[in-house]
Amino acid sequence: MIVCVAVVGHQNNPLYIQSFTEADDALKLHHIVHCSLDVVDERVNNPKKSGPTLNETFLGMLYPTENYKVYGYLTNTKVKFILVTTDLDVRDADVRNFFRRFHAAYVDAVSNPFHVPGKKITSTIFAERVSNIVKSFGLSSTG
Amino acid sequence: MEEFPGELRTPPVALVALVGFPELHAPITAHLHAEQPPINALALPDISKISVFARTPKDNSVPVRPVPGILKRDWVSKHRTRIPAVVAALFSSDHVSGDPAQWLQVCNDMDNLKAVTKPRNIKLVVAVVTQSSSKDEISEDRMLALRKKAEIDAKYVHVFTTNDPLELEQSLNRLRSSLAELANAYYRDEGRRIKSRLERKNLNSIELHIRCCFKVAVYAEFRRDWAEGLKFYEEAYLSAREMVGSSTRLPPIQRLVEIKTVAEQLHFKISTLLMHGGKLAEAIMWFRRHIDTYKKLVGAADASFAHWEWLSRQYIVFAELLETSSAVLSDVASATSGIAEKLTELEFYSAYYYQAAAQYLKEKSSCLELALSLSEHADETDDNDQSVSSVYVGQFVRLVELGEAVVMQPLTDEEFIRYALAEAKRFQASFEIVALLKKSSESYNNHHMLRMASYCGFKMAREYFTAEKFGDAKQSFDIVADLYRREGWVALLWEVLGYLRECSKRIGSLKDFIEHSLEMAALPVSDANGIQSFMDCGPAGPLGLLARETIHKEVFGLVRGEQDILLNEENNPLKVTDDTPLFLEIDLVSPLRVVLLASVAFHEQVVKPGTPTMLTVSLLTQLPLDVEIDQLEIQFNQTEYNFIIVNSQRSHLAAISKVQPGRRVEMAPVLKVATNRWLRLTYEIISEQSGKLECMYVIARIGRHFTISCRAESPASMNDLPLWKFEDRVESTPIKDPGLASSGQKAIQVEEPDPQVDLKLDSSGPALVGENFVVPVTITSKGHSVHSGELKINLVDTKGGGLLSPRDVEPFSTDNLHVELVGVSDRESADQSDIGSENIRKIQPSFGLISVPIIEEGKTWSCKLEIRWNRPKPVMLFVSLGYSPYGRETSSQKVHVHKNLQIEGKTALTISHQFMLPFRQDPLLPSTGKAAAGSDTTPVLPSKETSILLVSAKNCTEVPLRLLSMSIESEADNKCTVRQKMEEPMEPALVVPGEEFKKIFSVIPEETIGNMNIGTVCLRWRRDCVRGKSVSSSSVTDVCTKQRLPDVTVEPPPLILHIVCPAHATLGVPFTYAIKIQNRTSLLQEIKYSLVDSQSFVLSGPHNDTIFILPKSEHVASFKVVALVSGSQQMPRVTVTSTRYSATFQPSPAASTVFVFPSKPHFEQNGTGDRKLQSLAVE
Repeated sequence: MIVCVAVVGHQNNPLYIQSFTEADDALKLHHIVHCSLDVVDERVNNPKKSGPTLNETFLGMLYPTENYKVYGYLTNTKVKFILVTTDLDVRDADVRNFFRRFHAAYVDAVSNPFHVPGKKITSTIFAERVSNIVKSFGLSSTG
Repeated sequence: MEEFPGELRTPPVALVALVGFPELHAPITAHLHAEQPPINALALPDISKISVFARTPKDNSVPVRPVPGILKRDWVSKHRTRIPAVVAALFSSDHVSGDPAQWLQVCNDMDNLKAVTKPRNIKLVVAVVTQSSSKDEISEDRMLALRKKAEIDAKYVHVFTTNDPLELEQSLNRLRSSLAELANAYYRDEGRRIKSRLERKNLNSIELHIRCCFKVAVYAEFRRDWAEGLKFYEEAYLSAREMVGSSTRLPPIQRLVEIKTVAEQLHFKISTLLMHGGKLAEAIMWFRRHIDTYKKLVGAADASFAHWEWLSRQYIVFAELLETSSAVLSDVASATSGIAEKLTELEFYSAYYYQAAAQYLKEKSSCLELALSLSEHADETDDNDQSVSSVYVGQFVRLVELGEAVVMQPLTDEEFIRYALAEAKRFQASFEIVALLKKSSESYNNHHMLRMASYCGFKMAREYFTAEKFGDAKQSFDIVADLYRREGWVALLWEVLGYLRECSKRIGSLKDFIEHSLEMAALPVSDANGIQSFMDCGPAGPLGLLARETIHKEVFGLVRGEQDILLNEENNPLKVTDDTPLFLEIDLVSPLRVVLLASVAFHEQVVKPGTPTMLTVSLLTQLPLDVEIDQLEIQFNQTEYNFIIVNSQRSHLAAISKVQPGRRVEMAPVLKVATNRWLRLTYEIISEQSGKLECMYVIARIGRHFTISCRAESPASMNDLPLWKFEDRVESTPIKDPGLASSGQKAIQVEEPDPQVDLKLDSSGPALVGENFVVPVTITSKGHSVHSGELKINLVDTKGGGLLSPRDVEPFSTDNLHVELVGVSDRESADQSDIGSENIRKIQPSFGLISVPIIEEGKTWSCKLEIRWNRPKPVMLFVSLGYSPYGRETSSQKVHVHKNLQIEGKTALTISHQFMLPFRQDPLLPSTGKAAAGSDTTPVLPSKETSILLVSAKNCTEVPLRLLSMSIESEADNKCTVRQKMEEPMEPALVVPGEEFKKIFSVIPEETIGNMNIGTVCLRWRRDCVRGKSVSSSSVTDVCTKQRLPDVTVEPPPLILHIVCPAHATLGVPFTYAIKIQNRTSLLQEIKYSLVDSQSFVLSGPHNDTIFILPKSEHVASFKVVALVSGSQQMPRVTVTSTRYSATFQPSPAASTVFVFPSKPHFEQNGTGDRKLQSLAVE
């Protein structure tokens, strides 16, 4: 289950962060997302030599922590997407698929002429869309 | 890692025993230790002590009962320290080869030895110690007998020689190699024996299987066979995992504890072996699997704390292992390739594990608290029996004294929990957690993972907070808050600020409390933007607009003195009073800029003194509620312009009394700053003083004792508001005028007043090189009287570059200067020379400073600048006048007038010259003959002969000049005579522009010399003052222009040719035409000459001839010639050739031309003239 998704801007500032848990650990998820930025930086600055990772937007699993796994995605405009999930066994394909759809939603949201680039995303339509993507996470590949 | 006994932490070392000959034990032990791989040795002085290795007899009669545990606690240490692999028996050679009694003793000892070693399969080495180096001493038979007795191979019987160091060394090496070989064999055999048991698969319990695997692995480690060791440890580990569901031997809680402890030990060995083998990634994968398997096995709820502690320990141990092995494996990148695709970078940092360890330790401590609270009532019973660790790993028993004997009794789960609780209580979890987090945080910082480090710092601070160490907590929170502020993580910042606020309150720091509260109240949080209300935000409370409003009200109640509800620990109310006024300063980087932002803009950039201009002060706040300010003070860099704006509604409240007398006070109807809306206040300001007027601070006073001082910011260079810049809010400009909003400045330049004085520079056309060119400067007052005036003069090369700079004047000599300021003359100062002494007057070649006397209104003052050009060059003349319009001493209020003028410098006269020879006389100069083709080399003059020098001077200016004289100045040691051919003109010659003036000199070189200096042409001239009326008389001075003539070459002419011929001829009248050749040399000269007939003349005489001229004599060849045609006619051309010099000479056509009159001319005498015209007689 996805517990948190976030969009992080150029100055490592949160542009959108939404948690999907009933429990009161939302703030902890903020911490986890914030910490994961270190790993994103590390991965971007020291890319692994092996593998065709050039121009790859999907960063893979950033780190496992406590009961969560954190995945990252870096768009070409250097906006970071972070995903926190509780699933122990996650297929990379599912996560890739999720990020692809999430990216599309993000692009639509920032293409709004009333959106100022670099500011927080406040669009409710974006929020709804994200929540739908989150709900359908993992279903598409099994079905 | 300290939890594990030493024998597990280090790789095992083979053990041997030395028996007999105690004096040799020390060198042998040392030798065994020093070599690689090392061998440990037990030393038994006497063979009788050998029984310590004996196997305890096993009671085989006892029926097979279930195995009581998995691993025995002391098995490894037994094999490392007590049971040797090899026994080395040392015998004296005397005893071996001695009398039968001694030999019998040796045999007896050998038997005892074998009795002990045989059952344990311990290997045996025999060494016969001898003093002498000769081996013959010991009989072969005895040695053979000894070997038979010992039942060992011949190579394991050594002769150990002690007396010679070299021999001793060899003996030691031999013994060592045997020992090493046998020890290896022993561990291999033992391992094989147990492995065969494993392979037979007749082990009836899984515990035994694990134990056997463990033993095989340890034996393999003794042999340094790491691969096999790893394989069997892994097998043991996997078997232990299988036990989890199946084992029923112990009560459930202890069962789990035992398995986990065994698994921990096995995993530790695996990790160590993998890491030492450089397989870091594999070790991490193992660790991950280990944790995944056991993390879920929490066990019973009341013993869960033990599980978390165990889990935490796994992380700590692994982190420590990682740290120690990181020196070996620094290159993470290489380790991550291959199988480790799934690993993340973070898992290679020990900090990651420390952090997790701290996390689980925290879990443990909360579970422990719960368990303690539940067991409180049960804890009262004081049980005497001691619970201790049993002989099996991971088991605990109770020691019960039964009479004399102490019996171990198994524990029930309840007893075990009680024991574990008692143990755990002794342990200070909080310290441990902080220490772990600190380690983790430092390590993250070293890897530049600031956010991870901050998170650890945050957890650490929270731990301090829980432990009520508010000072430490605050320090850590401050660091963390800084990062969150920078990156705009509002929710996290809210939480941290909440803690900070609480810490400040508990410490009793009112200022910090207010600052943190204000920052919290101004955070960009609203209910609308979708941030959920977090349940667990620490002392800050849930995030939201409501909370911000509450905090806002609380703070302003406090600073206005209406509330003092805050209590710190000592129950002292925190409040703002007369004794404790509060002053907050907000600078350009303060996080409190969101609380109050002051922007100040002047409406103009530059203003004249005394002219009013407008100033707009704009205030912005992001606090959730309106803020009413009682009084605003605007402070400038010039304090006399400071002014105060008073809120008229609150004038009674504000501390008006603080206002200094004479200060400007403005009343404003209301001073209320609303959320995210600029409060704009515009006032007029008049500055009298020129210079910069800058607004420094805007100080807001709220209540009697609360002051906020904001540094003023210019709208043009205002940074975005921190945090709020990411918000989607309505942004307005501090000033309505968009132009000002983008370019407004908090500073204004006040100009100096307009000058009311005229400065005039005149020039009369271009300047001439050499003369003192005069530039009159006129200062006319037109409204301002000039006080303490100063005139600065600067000469600058118009082309830029280095003409003259006022500073480095000294290195220049006058010759180098192209243009220089010679002097300044002013009429007044000449008259009042006594006053002039006070005047400043500095003249340097390119810079001048002159003080100007007081000039009253309407008066004029002038002076003249004299500038001399040494080379033709255009120059820019800058003149600036600085003065104060009032007689006051204020030097700051100077007014400046600047003027400049470009002046060309030109050369007045160009001088050229020409050398000539006397008419119809030609010396033969060998060098010219040779270099005939060579064009303009230095002219060659014949020595001791008169040459003619023609000097001409051309006026190249646009003004007429008067030439006073022209002369050639010879140098003192001159080797030639220069004479003037004409007398000086009576009055200066007028040379109009473009005209040339010529003068003839005769030159007689005295000596033959290569480079002869003839002299310098000296030309004295001046401007023609009659026509240039505008130029005042003083400027007309004589100028002397000098030009050195180029050097000439002087040669002695060997031959001189004269052509003798009358000046004119008459038609039909014969005349003589002669060629006179002088031989100047002391040699006989052969000369050939030839004559070519001319149509106009009839000629008598030889046409060709060769003549010889004696030394120092001359020869004349003469012809009679009759002219046939009148007019200017070419005489017959003669060609003379000197064979010695192979030089041919032909006179120039001019020299051989003669005018033929048709009849004899008559020259009439002019009676009035003094001069007589002679008629030239014809011979």
